[in-house]
Amino acid sequence: MWAGLRNDGTIRAGGLVFTVLYAGLIGWLFTRQPQTVAQITGGLASTIGAYSIDQQSLADGLRFFRNDQFVEARMAFARADPAIRDARTQFYIAYSYYRQGWGRLYHDDALYGEGLAAIDRAIALAPGGRLVVDDENLQMHTGEELKAEFEAGRRREPSDFNPMRVFRERK
Amino acid sequence: MTAAVREAIVLPAALLTVLLAGSIRMAQTTVFSPPSVFALVLGLLVIRVIVQSGALAPERLLANSRSAVGNLNGVAIALSLWLASAQVVAVLIPESGLPRIAFAVFLLILLINTAAAAPDRVRLLRSLAVSFGALFLLKFVVLRELSAPGISGLKRVLQAFLEGVTLGSLLQPPSHVVTSYLALLSLVLFLVAVFLLPARGGDRGHALERRPETTDIRPT
Repeated sequence: MWAGLRNDGTIRAGGLVFTVLYAGLIGWLFTRQPQTVAQITGGLASTIGAYSIDQQSLADGLRFFRNDQFVEARMAFARADPAIRDARTQFYIAYSYYRQGWGRLYHDDALYGEGLAAIDRAIALAPGGRLVVDDENLQMHTGEELKAEFEAGRRREPSDFNPMRVFRERK
Repeated sequence: MTAAVREAIVLPAALLTVLLAGSIRMAQTTVFSPPSVFALVLGLLVIRVIVQSGALAPERLLANSRSAVGNLNGVAIALSLWLASAQVVAVLIPESGLPRIAFAVFLLILLINTAAAAPDRVRLLRSLAVSFGALFLLKFVVLRELSAPGISGLKRVLQAFLEGVTLGSLLQPPSHVVTSYLALLSLVLFLVAVFLLPARGGDRGHALERRPETTDIRPT
């Protein structure tokens, strides 16, 4: 084995493979711009299909979400998907921003902005950009519906002054 | 170290590490910043002076006499050297404002001047170490200190004065100290990699020795 390793051709071929892999890693870092070590390891794991979310944390997040404890829910969702690679978890994070920012008289633009960023991430992560979440507790099940709701909420239009809007329900 | 290990593993690893370490900008968020188009152009100029000085002999990377894998190793080194050169240039250029323009123009003139001077390998290595080192100190010590958020009242007053006088074009966005260490690492590693490149003549044993002065002038 060691005689083989000492062979020039083997060293050169091995070095070439190493160079291609290293360059690929750097290219991946430039493209994805991970912010944490968890995002780097999770992102690399997901490229080989080895990434999985923490189901217990996801369940905790869903429980908080259904109790309208949105800040706690997002903390649990972030724990469940530290690498930000799971479209469904990101969908719930976006939905938590929607529900927290929704108001009968006005919407919180800052929270809607965060939600829009989250739903964009979720749609980007979904295969083919198609994101459908089957959850009977939600009234919006697709990424498109949630994104449209955020965009409508951030627009200034005459219907904002319609007094009948106080009768609208949160989805 | 055999030529194969150096060409296939050590040089690509060092040059790609220069690219990676030099790309990391840590502030409030971490950004992996690839070299700009201008830096890539300056990177080509750096390669030009490296080849011109004999620090890199292209025929020792790509030649008919080499094996196919050996030539691929040569291509990998050439590409890595280009990207690493561009990244080192990008590291040395400040992020914004007047210093960014001044440093970029200075580097361009410096490299053109170096090409015109046509130094040999040893002089080029010294020249790169001195000029890149000076630019590193200017950016990561002088400009960074000037731009660092002031703790004392006097420093804050001086910063406000400086910002007013220069219309905000001098001070740089704050960066984490780790960015400076990574920049220094990439700079040193780049110089080491240039030193290790297969040079013209191929003798590495006397790499940093001056060529003997020619005194052999006989009267005719």
